[in-house]
Amino acid sequence: MISVRNLTKRYAGHTAVDDISFEVDRGEIVGFLGPNGAGKSTTMRILTCYLSATQGAASVGGFDTFKDSIEVRKRIGYMPENVPLYDDMRVKEYLHFRAQLKGLRGRSARRAAGEAMDTCSLQDVRRKMIGTLSKGYRQRVGLADALVNKPELLILDEPTNGLDPNQIRQVRELIKHLGERHTILISTHILSEVEMTATRVIIIDKGRIKASDTPQNLIRRLHSSGTVHMEVKAKPKQVIEKIETLSDIKNAIHIGTSQGWSTIDVHAFSNVDIREQLSSLAQEQNWPLRELYRDTASLEDAFVDITRS
Amino acid sequence: MRQFFILLRKELRSFFLSPLAYVIIALFTFLNGWLFSSIVTAMRMKVNQHSLVYNLFDSGWFWMGYFFLFPLLTMRLFAEEKKLGTLETLLTAPVRTAQVVLAKFVATTILYIVIMLPIFAFFFLFEDITGESAAFQKGAFYGAAAILLLVGIFNIAIGCFASSLTSNQLIAAMITFVVVVLHYFLGFIHYFGAKLPAELLAKVTYFSTVEHRHLFTEGLIDSRPVIYYLSSAVVMLFLTHHVLERRRWQS
Ligand SMILES: Nc1ncnc2c1ncn2[C@@H]1O[C@H](COP(=O)(O)OP(=O)(O)O)[C@@H](O)[C@H]1O
Ligand SMILES: [Mg+2]
Repeated sequence: MISVRNLTKRYAGHTAVDDISFEVDRGEIVGFLGPNGAGKSTTMRILTCYLSATQGAASVGGFDTFKDSIEVRKRIGYMPENVPLYDDMRVKEYLHFRAQLKGLRGRSARRAAGEAMDTCSLQDVRRKMIGTLSKGYRQRVGLADALVNKPELLILDEPTNGLDPNQIRQVRELIKHLGERHTILISTHILSEVEMTATRVIIIDKGRIKASDTPQNLIRRLHSSGTVHMEVKAKPKQVIEKIETLSDIKNAIHIGTSQGWSTIDVHAFSNVDIREQLSSLAQEQNWPLRELYRDTASLEDAFVDITRS
Repeated sequence: MRQFFILLRKELRSFFLSPLAYVIIALFTFLNGWLFSSIVTAMRMKVNQHSLVYNLFDSGWFWMGYFFLFPLLTMRLFAEEKKLGTLETLLTAPVRTAQVVLAKFVATTILYIVIMLPIFAFFFLFEDITGESAAFQKGAFYGAAAILLLVGIFNIAIGCFASSLTSNQLIAAMITFVVVVLHYFLGFIHYFGAKLPAELLAKVTYFSTVEHRHLFTEGLIDSRPVIYYLSSAVVMLFLTHHVLERRRWQS
């Protein structure tokens, strides 16, 4: 669906996107993840034919973004960062205008606007001026605009930026739902966002791609997840001594004790699971054990790890 | 073509639903109504060799109001879309930039014509009430309308271009005002006592709105000014298109 080859974009003396290449297949939900200024918006603007590339090429659905710009634009629903909208139009009127602009005629334009409002739960505000809407509703109007002509590809630039947690959950649900029918490229600097919705994550930093994989694989690749928390009823000093005799253990640290229960963090070398060893040790030593769990690394850790190197 | 009409309708709609359009129409009509009645009074007091139409359009007051019209009409065209970021949604829809430019230009021209209509209504009203003719010949009447339309189209195209250069409406308005006024006064240059060689003076006359207006409001419709204003407007719109497309150029 999307093919980007050796794409470079330079602004006066400053390289925003530096020789990136990637593909997105039909049906994927790809999270485009990176800190602010990484080059996400710039890449999306090139894909939507708003900007030209300095070098390299991009195509959507087999059409070149530079040579067949109109064909590309027919296939894309784009929601730019900060959701620009005409404040002096009513929601229904705006979506009808956009549907017409994207080539739908007469009754089908009206129907498309109605369906987009249904999908994005905008029926309550359809007669309201866009300028009077809350941020959450504006975001949904932007989404409704992007999907009004049922494009094959949705490109959403930070769709949950500036929303409160409730609204973020709603928009996220909506995007998940849209993923059933559309190919989606969604950018964000919030990790939990793509962890929950994306089938693949592309991590971009300083204009370069640092990783591209499923969220699960990215987490698995992480080194720092060999930490296990345990709570045992025993003398901490004695416990630590015993634990450190086991293989694969880097160290064990006493965190605290309350009512006889000691909390201990055990760090293993590399990414091995040491829970089994620890539970047999506790059984052997007759220590009452009430908690034993392994830290699950989040995409957040993966992100920090990848962008730091 | 269909896209052009969709965009045109949207532009007209946002004009006529905004208070600005009505404020402009009201102020401009008020100014010209006042001017009209004082000219009628003056003509009654003192014999004048020119017609009412000629006298009105010869008045500096008319042109003063007229010059403020164009920055007000055109400043928001592209500058506002740039500021709001809606230019990005607009130009990533499957529309051609030329359609966007033309729709905005035509919509503004339509609004301009609507703003000018009351003046001509004054003339008809005058003829109806007094039984006198406002212009000596019918031709002068059409001539006046034609030169106003031509100058208007030219000035609107300048405003379009200025608005495409910036996201600041005030800057766009100032550029438009300065260019429109400078162009107008170019025609007056020899009245200011500038000693120009005759050859250059003839060239200046070719660009001079003042000279064109004298001709047209006498009912003499010349093809050279028609070509001059229309082709200049086309150049301005072409430049506007150029500015908007520049971001998409490949180096
Ligand atoms: N129009 C522009 N002119 C100059 N530099 C720009 C422009 N747009 C973006 N940049 C720069 O390019 C880099 C990437 O920006 P952007 O693509 O917006 O990043 P992101 O969306 O990942 O936050 C930033 O350093 C930004 O300052
Ligand atoms: Mg961005």
